[in-house]
Amino acid sequence: MLFKLQKKTLIISQIIGYAFTLLIGATIILVTSQFYFDIKPLLSQETDLFKTKAVVVSKNITVFKSINKEKIYFTDEEIKELENQPFIKNISKFNNASFKIKAYTKESEKVPGFYTDLFFESIPQKYLDVETEEWDWDPSLDFIPIIIPENYLKLYNFGFAQSQGLPVLSKNTISLIEFNIKVSGNNQIKRYRSKIVGFSNKVNSILVPEDFLLWANKEFGRGDKNKTSRVLIEFKNPSDKAILKYFNENNYSISKDKLEFSKLVFFFKLALLFVFFIALVIIILSISFIIISLNLIIQKNKELILNLYNIGYNHNRIAKFYQIFISSTTVLLIIIAIFISNFTRNYYIEKIVDLLDFTSKSNYILISGMSLIVILIFAYNLFIINYIKKIVQPREEKISKL
Amino acid sequence: MTIRLNNIKPSYMSESEISESDIYLQESVLFEKGRKYLIRANSGHGKSSLLNIIYGSNANFDGNINYDGSSNHNTFSFRESKISYVFQDLKLFPDLTIFENIQLKNGLTNNKSVEEIDHLIDQVLLSHKRDNLVRNLSLGQKQRVAIIRALCQPFEFLLMDEPFSHLDEKNCGIISNIVSQELEKQNASLIMTSLGDSSYFDYDKILNL
Repeated sequence: MLFKLQKKTLIISQIIGYAFTLLIGATIILVTSQFYFDIKPLLSQETDLFKTKAVVVSKNITVFKSINKEKIYFTDEEIKELENQPFIKNISKFNNASFKIKAYTKESEKVPGFYTDLFFESIPQKYLDVETEEWDWDPSLDFIPIIIPENYLKLYNFGFAQSQGLPVLSKNTISLIEFNIKVSGNNQIKRYRSKIVGFSNKVNSILVPEDFLLWANKEFGRGDKNKTSRVLIEFKNPSDKAILKYFNENNYSISKDKLEFSKLVFFFKLALLFVFFIALVIIILSISFIIISLNLIIQKNKELILNLYNIGYNHNRIAKFYQIFISSTTVLLIIIAIFISNFTRNYYIEKIVDLLDFTSKSNYILISGMSLIVILIFAYNLFIINYIKKIVQPREEKISKL
Repeated sequence: MTIRLNNIKPSYMSESEISESDIYLQESVLFEKGRKYLIRANSGHGKSSLLNIIYGSNANFDGNINYDGSSNHNTFSFRESKISYVFQDLKLFPDLTIFENIQLKNGLTNNKSVEEIDHLIDQVLLSHKRDNLVRNLSLGQKQRVAIIRALCQPFEFLLMDEPFSHLDEKNCGIISNIVSQELEKQNASLIMTSLGDSSYFDYDKILNL
């Protein structure tokens, strides 16, 4: 009976307005936050150029520098200055081999014989973009793993092999070919077996494990100080404008594309945050909307509420209908929002999986939706009960003074 | 339950307005269980104010009220089972039918069965209007609904504020019969206000306000 009476006090158009805005706001907020969780690993995969936000920096080579080779090396002061820049998090040097290296094979049916001079460099393993189990150097095995730039393979396959009528090689084939390395210096010669264990997209150099190079430099090296022509720089925030400015001023060469991509990701994240923020505003507006609507309903029906109170209905019983109605509407809408969000997620994951190497992450939509339900229902119930109490309360307060 | 008024006066009334009152500003006025009281006064002398003060819906007064000897009571809780009230402005819900209006009150305690409610409606000659919205009734019909609604709860005191103001003799007779029976059944007291003399009940005490 009470519900029948109170049902007539509702303003349907306002409830529909609330339902509509809440549904939109909740759906957007659930989708954007889940979307962020889903693509976060993708973003960091692509941006973290060497697993971390690092780029290779060298000096620009000019005519003058090609005459005086010393100018292409970083001095200790320059490295120190770089270290002191506020946008730089960490600097690592490239180590060069200071001994002679030759690679060769003996001609066989499988592999044509070759003999070539080589150079080695090394970088700390954490900056490598290649994952291989064979990277560790074991001094007892006389084996040196090597990583070459992927570009070298492309150059051979699409350039050299084509023009010289040689067979093209896949990464796997290359990885199977063993060849020999001869290192010499300090009146010593040592031969190793070697194999290409990976291809780097990021580092344009022939890399060997760092602990091998450090050991070999001591053993075979000319003993001169290790000169640094390239450094790996890790940035705090790759989209910092000061970075490009600083490198231009100092005439350092930096791979801008990589920084640009990082910037793109930064703006993408910003856009996502913006959408999230807008959705939050929509939800806040819908909450304000229903609060104002409830306020209006209660004010408009103040006499009815007071009459109910007069015939013996306390504020809890009067509030109950509005509490149940708003709570169930909210629960229903957010459940619909959860369904729509899940549907949207399945749709975009399908698209992403087609384009990229993507493994599905945990789904937070349900738990976020449920949290939203709990927060909203708690807030609404508190508001309704307090507001109705306020309508009938002044009397009660005075009565208790009797 | 007994109700004792000590030096009661609505705050918004001046002393000159309430001179020679048997109730207002009297040191002690006692309403006892099982008795019938008539409170007479011309309009504007605070009849409704007095009933509202007793009912707990008007806290704007000076003085003290004791229920069963204690002044520390939550009067709201009396509304379910101790004090019933026929308001002068009736406080019916126009968008509900006669039956629904009564059931709304009865639902608080389930004091009467549907058959008993229907019997009451029938007794006050409104059975043909049972399912009509209250907004479509005449004032006299509404008054009858308000009175039988007040009987649909347990009570020790029945407050009636000019209940017969829009009723004809025949209906007054019917209503006073029903009310008397209910008072007797519940061993309850009646405090009724009226503009002038009233002979519908055998009053134990007549007080001038």
